[in-house]
Amino acid sequence: MNMKKFLSLVLAGTMTVGMAGTVAFADDAAESKALNVCLASEPSTLDPALNSAVDGATMLAHLFSGLAKWEQNDEGVLTIVPDAAEELTEGVVGDDGKVTYTYTLKDGLTWSDGQPVTAADFAFAWNRAASFDLAADYGYMFEVIDGYADIWETDDEGNQVNPDAKLNVTAVDDKTLEVVLSNAVAYWNELLAFPTYFPVREDVVADEAWATDPSTYVNNGPYTMSSWEHNSVITLTKNENYVDAAEITMPEINFYLSDDANNMLTNFKNGDWTLIDDVPTNEIASLKEEYPDEFVIAGQIGTYYVCWNVNEDILPADSGLEGAEAEAAKAEIRNAISLLFDRNYIVEEIGQAGQVPASSFVAMGMTDADGSEFYKNAGDSDEYDGYYNVAADALEDNFNKAIEVLKKYYEFDEASYTFTNFPTMTYLYNTSEGHKAIGEYLQSALAAVGITMNLENQEWATFLETRKNGDYSIARNGWLADYNDPICFLDMWTTASGNNDVQFGKGAHTDVAAYSLDLTDLGYDTKVENGTWAETYDVLIADIKSCTDNDTRYALMHRAEDLLMSTGCICPLYYYTDLYMVDSSLKGFFSNPLGYKYFMYCTF
Amino acid sequence: MNPKTLKYILKRVILAVFTVWVVITVTFFVMHAVPGGPFVGEKAVSPAVQKAMEAKYGLDKPIMEQYWTYLKDVLHFNFGPSLKQRGRQVLDIIADGMKTSAKLGLIAAAFALVIGVVLGSFAALKRNTFLDRVVMVLTTAFVSMPSFIMGSLLLILFAIRLHVLPANGSTTAGLILPVITLMLSPMSYITRLTRSSMLDVLGQDYIRTARAKGVSKGRIIFGHALKNALIPVITYFGPMLAYIVTGSLVVEQIFAVPGIGRAFVSSITNRDYTMIMGTTIILASLIVIMNLVSDILYKVVDPRINLE
Repeated sequence: MNMKKFLSLVLAGTMTVGMAGTVAFADDAAESKALNVCLASEPSTLDPALNSAVDGATMLAHLFSGLAKWEQNDEGVLTIVPDAAEELTEGVVGDDGKVTYTYTLKDGLTWSDGQPVTAADFAFAWNRAASFDLAADYGYMFEVIDGYADIWETDDEGNQVNPDAKLNVTAVDDKTLEVVLSNAVAYWNELLAFPTYFPVREDVVADEAWATDPSTYVNNGPYTMSSWEHNSVITLTKNENYVDAAEITMPEINFYLSDDANNMLTNFKNGDWTLIDDVPTNEIASLKEEYPDEFVIAGQIGTYYVCWNVNEDILPADSGLEGAEAEAAKAEIRNAISLLFDRNYIVEEIGQAGQVPASSFVAMGMTDADGSEFYKNAGDSDEYDGYYNVAADALEDNFNKAIEVLKKYYEFDEASYTFTNFPTMTYLYNTSEGHKAIGEYLQSALAAVGITMNLENQEWATFLETRKNGDYSIARNGWLADYNDPICFLDMWTTASGNNDVQFGKGAHTDVAAYSLDLTDLGYDTKVENGTWAETYDVLIADIKSCTDNDTRYALMHRAEDLLMSTGCICPLYYYTDLYMVDSSLKGFFSNPLGYKYFMYCTF
Repeated sequence: MNPKTLKYILKRVILAVFTVWVVITVTFFVMHAVPGGPFVGEKAVSPAVQKAMEAKYGLDKPIMEQYWTYLKDVLHFNFGPSLKQRGRQVLDIIADGMKTSAKLGLIAAAFALVIGVVLGSFAALKRNTFLDRVVMVLTTAFVSMPSFIMGSLLLILFAIRLHVLPANGSTTAGLILPVITLMLSPMSYITRLTRSSMLDVLGQDYIRTARAKGVSKGRIIFGHALKNALIPVITYFGPMLAYIVTGSLVVEQIFAVPGIGRAFVSSITNRDYTMIMGTTIILASLIVIMNLVSDILYKVVDPRINLE
């Protein structure tokens, strides 16, 4: 064979393979009527007890049926409705303040392998998810149930004290489940719709790898898992045996597994995928123009904020202040600095995704005792919501106020309008273009008044550890709610909490007696003047957790946020939003405030 | 095979095992020294949960004890469970990723080799013609163009504008664009290597002798020239095969191909200790083996090469 012939053969071969692929692809597209979506990369688990991710929760909501579920009514309002339970009953309050709920399961509930779903499956699943052995991230979701505290009681070395402790949950018979809560909880029904509360069957989960393969995956929801190509695609097929199967309109859903926003966008643009849950940050502006109907900004309960290390010394060297006095001065300084930032600039020029300037730590979307927005009732001003006025026209006023406060502590040069002896600080953030841009803005805003703030970025896991250990002066931070109750923004700041990045009550701050708390007007004995963080905030959170009166409980939570914000250690910047793109041909789609997306009632 | 060659191979195998052991040891201790751990997240778990998890996976033991246990397990091909993807074994995850990456890599490498050698020989024979120049310009461009640019260009053209190929690498058709992206650079490099070494060989005395003897042109090229011209290609091809088969992170990311490269990088960000160790060991072993094989192949192709 001569060279030319050989070469042409090779070329012909290449082209044939290419053509074959193209033809195969065209066939694929023609026959699929399934919904193709992409939320994120491979979920780390689809075991409802172990999952702690939003994308995992979305898939679990399609695979499992808990006692309750989220639904959108005809007016487009989201509600919690019974799912496996006949109805969501009212609790019975006992003499000891404990609340007992009794649920009856619907008739004909089955697992995907045909076995009946029993109340005992729920009792087993809840005990498993809350157990010491499983050590699930979201095990604390069962904190409200009587008995949880006993399970997690540990000795000084961290070993479990009561290995036989169980949650107070009883399967009275096959269809009746009785659960006792330590006290009344306003968000109880919402918890019942939370994936950690979904049932699993004992013999199924005995195999540790049960949730990693369709052949061993036994579930009870609207869909069954028909295939899982790891790191590639998970396919869910409608479960005809599901008790409300008639309402489920989408026959098949393919969850493609990718976390590359550019790849997602390409697949959305060429029509292969109907919904993508992420878009490249630098494309947001053009996408909003190009796809006005498809580009969606949904509410999400979360706050992007900056946190200070409470032990960082920011006073000038010659201030002469110590202990509680120094802490009070630092709090005033930090709160003043919070006023220097233009949050409208941050959301409009940097975020560009419809974020809302934040004036409180407890995020927008959290409801108060009366059903109104919690953040609107925060702070003591009648003129604005929250703790600062974040309106664009209040900027100058805020700025002047901040300068006046800072002048009390630092030398101010009127000619250049800058402070001359503010110690240099370092702002820590995790490596990302968006966080960097915000860091640079904060840096420039402070530089304008003579305060030097250096920027330092760290890779994600390193950053988390540095921040947790308090090896920083100021850091980027963010928090998303797990459920609609302000306590999930507040109990993270107790001394012992693993999320106490500010280091409240730790190190030098342990003995700083700078806080006062008076709860006598709410019917409590608690009255502390000049107490430590442990004597005030920790006590307040404990009171909230044991409070049985709804109105009082919310009043206490406002007090907690007031105390938290008075330290100035939390500087909220904006409330998060959830960005996604969904093709306008898709009908019946909705998402809940926690970011879970529901595709089962969709049609094209 | 003569005893000298056997001795050489044995020596190289021992060295390879030693290399892999060094890789295991360095990775193990560096990995544990890096801040952050597998159970650290934006939402911190309580200290009790953290402790329970560490005990479950033996991370509460002294580091040297963990190291010895791990070495022992590796000798039994037990790479342990993933710390992040709960319920999955590291070996299963690697096998899943390798299947895709190897398929992608082998196809790309085969095309690169065949097209590269053919184009290179062709260019050498047609030296200084217009065709030769075209091949040289194109291959220079492909060698110097980073894969993320090539990948993006192909995506825009074939997936968005023409819409003939999918942008997602999870289907068979979806592998066409990643294969082309992966192939172009090594193919161009092989073309250039073959061309220059072919030119070199064609100028040698023995080729002139063969030609003077009246040997046909085809026999000269395939029987004498090509075999010797391929030695540098083999040197390049062995390690290249190892790299291309073990997954290109960039290409896997652009096309969302579920390969080992993506799994490797995400295991590092997640501090999934067992996954980091498992992937490092497998990838290091592959590269070591490929190098070994290409060294031995030299000897087969060119008996003049002294293995000592």
